[in-house]
Amino acid sequence: MLATWTLLSVLTLPTVCDEASARTSDGNDSNVVWIQAERVIVRPGVELENAAVLIEDGIIVAVGADVEAPDNARILKGGVVCAGFVDPWSSLQVDAGSVDNQNLEPGSRTVDALDPFSRPDQRSEALAGGVTAVRAQAGSSSFIGGIGAVVQNDPGTDSVILIEDACLATSIGVTRHGRVNDVFDRVAEVERLVGQVEKGAAYRDALAKYEQELADWQKAIDEKTKELEDDFKKAKKKRDKDVADAEEKGKEHKDKKYKEDKKPKKPRYDPTIELLGRVADGELPLVVEAHRVPEIRNLLERTEDLSRLRLVLAGATQSEHMAEALVERHVPVMIWPAPEASGRDEYDGFDLGLAGRLADEGVEVLLGSGGGPHARDLRYLAALAVSHGLDRDAALHAITLGPARAFDVADRVGSVERGRDGDVLVFDGDPLDTTSTLQFVLSRGRVVE
Amino acid sequence: MKRTLNLTVPLLAAFTLASAGATIASAGSATDDKLVVEAGKIITQAGDPIEDGVIVIENGRIVAIGKADDVEKPWDAPVVGGPDFVAFPGFVEAHTSNGLDRANENLDVAPFLDIKDSIDPVAFYFEDCLRYGVTTVNVQHGANCVIGAQGMIVRPTGMTVDAMTVRPSFGLKMSTGPKQGKSRATQMQALRDAFNELRMYLAELVEEERDERGHAEREALFQGRELEGEEAEGREMGGTAWKVDGLELIPRGAIDEKQAPLLDIVEGKRTCFVQCAGAVDVPHALELARQNGFLARTVLVISTDCWRAADRIAEAGVPVILEGGLVDVRRNPVTGEEEETFVPEVLAAAGVRFALSSENPAQRSLWYQAAMAVGHGLARDAALDAVTRVPAEILGLAHEVGSLEVGKLGNVVLFSGDPLSVTSWVEHVVVEGDEVYSRADDVRNKQLLDGTQPQGTTGGVAEQPGDASKSDEEEGK
Repeated sequence: MLATWTLLSVLTLPTVCDEASARTSDGNDSNVVWIQAERVIVRPGVELENAAVLIEDGIIVAVGADVEAPDNARILKGGVVCAGFVDPWSSLQVDAGSVDNQNLEPGSRTVDALDPFSRPDQRSEALAGGVTAVRAQAGSSSFIGGIGAVVQNDPGTDSVILIEDACLATSIGVTRHGRVNDVFDRVAEVERLVGQVEKGAAYRDALAKYEQELADWQKAIDEKTKELEDDFKKAKKKRDKDVADAEEKGKEHKDKKYKEDKKPKKPRYDPTIELLGRVADGELPLVVEAHRVPEIRNLLERTEDLSRLRLVLAGATQSEHMAEALVERHVPVMIWPAPEASGRDEYDGFDLGLAGRLADEGVEVLLGSGGGPHARDLRYLAALAVSHGLDRDAALHAITLGPARAFDVADRVGSVERGRDGDVLVFDGDPLDTTSTLQFVLSRGRVVE
Repeated sequence: MKRTLNLTVPLLAAFTLASAGATIASAGSATDDKLVVEAGKIITQAGDPIEDGVIVIENGRIVAIGKADDVEKPWDAPVVGGPDFVAFPGFVEAHTSNGLDRANENLDVAPFLDIKDSIDPVAFYFEDCLRYGVTTVNVQHGANCVIGAQGMIVRPTGMTVDAMTVRPSFGLKMSTGPKQGKSRATQMQALRDAFNELRMYLAELVEEERDERGHAEREALFQGRELEGEEAEGREMGGTAWKVDGLELIPRGAIDEKQAPLLDIVEGKRTCFVQCAGAVDVPHALELARQNGFLARTVLVISTDCWRAADRIAEAGVPVILEGGLVDVRRNPVTGEEEETFVPEVLAAAGVRFALSSENPAQRSLWYQAAMAVGHGLARDAALDAVTRVPAEILGLAHEVGSLEVGKLGNVVLFSGDPLSVTSWVEHVVVEGDEVYSRADDVRNKQLLDGTQPQGTTGGVAEQPGDASKSDEEEGK
């Protein structure tokens, strides 16, 4: 009956943007966008002066100083172009009941809980903050959080999923509903988690063994069948004779017993174990939120033999004491630079210099907004980390290419390169200078802010 | 007046109601295979109303309908009605979990259960259905499930489930809104697992059968026997989304009855009622239906909030049953203002076919829902269709009920005035040619209006707990 805010916000966003772009362009509605900038940050550490970016049908088709504007292009001019931010630790668009759920299983999927109708205000805030994609995750602070997804923060109501199986998320020793775990509980949780992953690895091994055995069996059976077919005439002749003999003697004819090797048995399928097997094989990373030295050390030690496992450590308040091992194992560490987690014991002793110190030790750092629905602050969180010692390029990496690589979507987002989605930001100054203004946000080539 | 009735009903002791129920049922038992219904006006729901009309019903079906002057009335048929009445097709309740001994089971996935085992023929609900003019009821498992039981369509009259049955084992219930103790993530996981399990179960059956046949062939070769050709006894798998190759090797009787109803769903042979607790559930429900090939047989049972997904519902082309209230009230998280949306209008504007429902006590009855919808601005035709023709279509009974036409079932309600007016009474209800309700014989209704107490009860006010325990004690002695 009444036009409501849901519809309104969806409808008005593009309209506002069209006006904005009309001021800076030749003003046409083509799906070709040409952005001219003083500086293009292709990816952290690779920057081009006075270059242009050409986006066609939502995909970046050219980046460089000599890229000309096609006739039909919408033209944007700005200061600095960089890739849209990717928040690696968020629950934007996820149904609240699934974020709180403590009973998730490894096979529970965040994509099942994506709510395209929830809080469009949070989504547009995030977009206005330059966050064009997030790793959305159900079950924050639950021991098993299930499978996370990387989702584009597109202004349309549909959730555009970049990858459905981005990771398996878990958390160890975090405060759940005010309950703090002691060190033995925490180490026991590590044991439980690794035990599950090992079960998955064992399933994978059993499956590979079964497939080999099955192939061998099939080959043997095929050979045997051919042999039997070749000998059939002989066998039939003999049988006819035996039947006749038996009849003569007034006895019942009995066929010879036939024996063959049993078909190998398939390992019992269980969707949970199957998923854990994929995690053990590194097909998707295992994100473990762990904060203190005992659980981090135990985790690293217990997973040493799982050579294909890809770990991402999250939270990681005391992780600098384990920095050497983290570097050696190539484990990225995901940090919430300014945790707002009052009453959560595991953040005791956290300080803003953590990201900088970890990076100095050679650890790959990712920065996220802590698993809540407020992704909009990501840029400021990164700037905060820079002001406390994190290298600027490392900070930019931590909110663009780093998360994109960690969750296997670097072919789509995280850098301004040919072939990537047109998720691009245009600032009037450096992206991590908090006084710069975000002039344009493009999501898949469409100006949305 | 109906409001009064509804409010007071629960206050009466159970005792009386059983006897009233019996009265109503016996009113219907005076069967004859012919009946003439006369009305000052017949709203047929199939073309223009007929003034001074007559409906002739024989063997449960309408054989003639028209102006009194044009229709030949059988001389030996009893007559119901008269010039003061308005005849209307019996209302069709598209989906309810009322009338059940228990609406839900503890099991998450229970497609092997049949609702017929839980239907309570003397439930008040069915008695109230007649009082409100509902003559066809689709009873389905409650919403608190992952995959629920097989439902059934009943007529709200008769003392046994068999006597009530219109369509046995009709439909299956699912819910994408989370069952108690689940979240949306685990609910969808359970749904997906159920279908995966079915697929793997069928694939295993086929593999076992193939292995056995292979072994038998080799054995025969070895023994020098000719193997008699085995005929395939099953049939190929139907459906569109996914198929298990080789299912024709399996006789259908060999398929576990725990899995069979779900196989019906995948093969598109059974209507699936999918409960959506919020707009968020709609895309997930539609996706599940697409992935498993039952979109064409999907009916969404939606809450008020689901209007926000109206475009997606329209795009998918599935009908819906609006189970929540007619008006959605929500607070804008940014401005804090309350905003109201009249849901049927949004659905109608999007092109969604919808039926109204009286599932929840707050919605009272179908006529009330339709009247409220008209009050909020929905076109009268659309509102009437939403309680007759559309639910009939949803139930696959468009050729039987939902309008008064020759060939359809003789389900007629005689109102004392316009069906959507609060001052009209349901005076007579005819179900398949039997007059099963007459207000004059509605003992309970009369007692409520007169304020008289039926014998053996303590009054319209519920007994005090103290009194009850006292009487129990006395009985115990």
